[in-house]
Formats: sequence, C-alpha cells, structure tokens
Amino acid sequence: MSKLGNIPVQAKSEKKRTNPLARVFDELIQFCQSRSMFMLHYCTGCGAIELPPAMTSRFDMERLGIQPMVTPRQADILLVTGYVSVKTLKRVILTYEQMQSPKYVIGICSCTVNGGMYWQSYATAKVLNEYLPVDVYIAGCMPRPEAVIMGLRRLMSNIENGKGNAWKDYYERYDYYLGNQQHLFGDDWQTPVDVIGEAKFYDLEGEETYGEHTRTLEQHQEPLEAAVMRVKL
Amino acid sequence: MASFNSISELLAQLLFMPMLAFLLGLVMVLMYRKIAARLQRRIGPPFFQPVYDIVKLYSKDTQISHGLIHDIGIVVAVGGYVAAVILLPVPGMDGIADKGGIITLSYFLMIPSLGMALGVGQCANPNGSIGISRALTAMLAYDIPFIIVVFGVALHYQSTSLVGMIDYQQAHQWGIFEMPLLAAAGLFALQGMMGKHPFEIYVAPAEIATGPMVEMSGKFMGGLFVMQSFQFYVASVLYTSLFLGGGANWFEFLLKIFFVVEIPMSISFLFPRYRTEDMVRIMWKWPVMLALIGIAFVI
Ligand code: SF4
Repeated sequence: MSKLGNIPVQAKSEKKRTNPLARVFDELIQFCQSRSMFMLHYCTGCGAIELPPAMTSRFDMERLGIQPMVTPRQADILLVTGYVSVKTLKRVILTYEQMQSPKYVIGICSCTVNGGMYWQSYATAKVLNEYLPVDVYIAGCMPRPEAVIMGLRRLMSNIENGKGNAWKDYYERYDYYLGNQQHLFGDDWQTPVDVIGEAKFYDLEGEETYGEHTRTLEQHQEPLEAAVMRVKL
Repeated sequence: MASFNSISELLAQLLFMPMLAFLLGLVMVLMYRKIAARLQRRIGPPFFQPVYDIVKLYSKDTQISHGLIHDIGIVVAVGGYVAAVILLPVPGMDGIADKGGIITLSYFLMIPSLGMALGVGQCANPNGSIGISRALTAMLAYDIPFIIVVFGVALHYQSTSLVGMIDYQQAHQWGIFEMPLLAAAGLFALQGMMGKHPFEIYVAPAEIATGPMVEMSGKFMGGLFVMQSFQFYVASVLYTSLFLGGGANWFEFLLKIFFVVEIPMSISFLFPRYRTEDMVRIMWKWPVMLALIGIAFVI
C-alpha cells in the first residue's frame, strides 16, 4: 500500500508476463502516455481564465504534448478549474466516468482543495478528492499559468514513473467515493456508467469496491433505457 | 520463374507502399501542427508527437466499443485509404497502379467517409449524427468538382492510368502548365477533401464536439489519427501525379508532395468556416465553373 496525497493506492498483484520485452513496452507506453495528454477542461470557476494563456502563444502547452480535446471520450485529463457547486459536481462525475482509463484529474485553484473562499457556502462541494480521485492539485487563488504548467509537468513525471494510478483507486475504492456522492446527492444517485461492471471486466476490483453504499445503489438503481429521440412537429 | 519474381515483388510493394505512406503521413501531420503553431506564434509539438499520440491512444486500458459496426467502420475508413495508397505510383514502385486507373481510385476515396458514417451511426450520439450528415454533404460538395477535374485530366491525356499520365508529363511538360484551370479547380477540391478550414464544418470542435469523432475513444480515435495521416498523403500524391508530373526520383517526389500539402495547411488557419449549405454553394459554383471552362480548353 503506497500513498498518493491522502489516497492510499493498492498495488495490484502483478500478473505473470511471459513476453520478455514486456517491461520495455511498458516503459515505452508510459513514456508516450506522459508525452501525449489530451485535456478536457471543465471550466467550473474563475480559475478557467488562466487556461487560455497557458495554451496560447505565451506559454504554449502543445510543446509538452498537451492538447485540448472536446469530449470526455477522447480526453485523458479532466481539468477541474475552480469551485464545484453541488449541481456541477454531478456533471463532473458523469464526465469523469465516461473518460477512458488511464485518466487523470487535476484540481486547479484552492477551491477544489478545501473550498477556498467558498468554505461557508452551502452549495459547493469542498474537497474534490472525496468525490473523484485527484492526481494533482494546483493551489492558488488563482494559480498563474506557470503554476498550471508546473502541475501538468508533475503529472507527466508521475505518469512516466508509473505513479499516475489514481484512476485505479476509483475502481478499487468505489464504495468510498460513492458514499460521499450519495451523501451530497441523496440515496437514489446513479450514473449511466456501470462502474462496478467495468471494475469486474477490467479486473480492477479491490477490497472496498463493494460496501454498504453500493448496496444502497443496488436498491435504488433503475435499469437504464435508451433515450428516445423524438422530433416535435 | 519470372512470374514468381514479379509476384513476390508486387507483394513486397503492396506491403511497403502503405507503410511508407503512413510514415510520410505522420510527418505531414507534424507539419500541419507545426504550421498551425508557427502561424499562432507558438513553438508547437515536438518531432515525435504524432507517434506519441497514436501509441498512447492504442494503449488505453479501457476501450468503449459501441458494437460491431462501430469497430468495422473504423477499419473500413483506414482500409479505404490503404487501398487507395497502393493505386498511387511513387518513384520506383507502381503497386497495382497500372491495373486500376484513376476511376477506381476516385471510388476508393469515397470509402473512408462511408466507413466513418457506418461507425458513427452506431454510436447513437446526436452530435456524431449531425457531424456525419454534414461530412457526407461536404463529400457531395467537393466530389462534383473533383470528378469533373478527373474527367478533364483523363480527357486531356486520353488515358485513365496514372502511370501513363506521369510518364507523359515527365516526357513533355507538367499538367499544371497544360491545364492551369483544372489544376486550380483541383486545388480547391483538395481543400474540401482534406476537410480543412474553411470547409471543416463537420468537425467544428466547439459547436458539435468534433462531430463524427465525438464517441471515439482509445483505439478508435487512434484509427482516425492513422486515417488522417493517410489522408494527407493520398491527397498530396494524387495531386502531384495529376498536375505536377509525379516524381522522377525520391527527392523530387518528396519535395513536391510536401509542397502540395503545405498549401491547404497554410490556407486552413487563415479562415473561419463556411456553413454546410454555403460550402455546397461555393463548391458547386467556382471550382465547377473553373473546371468546366478548363475542360472546354482541353477539348
Ligand atoms: S480559488 Fe479563487 S480563483 Fe480559484 S475558483 Fe476559487 S475563488 Fe476562483
């Protein structure tokens, strides 16, 4: 059990690899993953204003291989830029669950770290990593583009060293995250993505994937139906 | 024995030509992004960025497939271009270019869009459907001038074989000097075919979230990245063979294809985009008019 911030990360028992070059491939893949990051910026708060300078000619993120992408399916990084109100948090979680792993969350701004100046607000979720596994926090109100790029570089070096594994934590301790989400949104909270099914399929279950909160989810879960598309005439 | 040799040589070419096209296409993708960066006064991505992107996309741990047709659609999209590549002669290698002429090639160039349409259809994402309907309309728009240009060129050389056309141009003079109007119309159609500004309404990242690509993740997106690099290569080599006399040697050939592909790339960042119906209107008006006048001169 290693630690990443206050998130305990469980190392999965290594599967037997027969390919002698497996390690080389792994390193190559980790390197490429760290050099090519597609970022989905969920601009929830004022911190978003620091992203355009970080992306355009002054600080040019593309030279680090970081590109903005527009849908969660294509993205690797979810950038949460600023305070998340309870309503927004639902959307952030939906977005996060649609992303394909390995996926990373970066919390920009003090508001995502501890609520910042919205500490007393009844409508904001304070600590982001109670609801989503955050890889890197960038504190500041608001952090300068240099700080944003520093944070992204930290994430790059984490991925390159094989330490960017917070996304596994979401599967392994789903019960914990789900519990916090239910606390905010009520017991009948459910998302269209079957996280438990995915954890089973990709062999990412941990000891805390199931628990009392997932049982609550099962009780309230309604089967998903395809949305009916209707044209109003 | 001779036939065995020629068959093995042909097989080697069929393997080697797509690989070469892919590598050159990657360099073109890099060039595209570098041009974008330089025009915006940025530094731009490092040299191996296209490779990093593709390796990363293929190495995603979870992959969402929306069904069999989604999988097959991407394969069809890439396969259409691979099939087109072996019909395009490069210096020293003809592939099967002397067997299938330019008419076969123009059919093959429609396959990728249709493959994408199949694949995107199964994603059932409204943005994707909007995107693909726009993409097919755009295809209708640029294919009319493209086909007229192809027809005019074939009429001029009295042949539909690319190999024959290139030989003729190298012996006499380049097509662009003999049929300047057709060449101009072809360049216009090329801009639409490569889906670059001002004709990239079907991608429109900010409005319909990259349209056809909206549900593509991991290896599907990787497939589309591979497709893009083939697309650049095919478009530039086709134009070079029709109007710039192909390449007598590799140096000349590379110089020409990179020059050709650079034109739409640099234009692309100077304009906003046309709406779909405006694109159809402009494509059916100016390039078609130029091409028809060009044909009149050729006859
Ligand atoms: S930390 Fe400051 S700048 Fe960032 S979202 Fe909160 S109030 Fe806005």
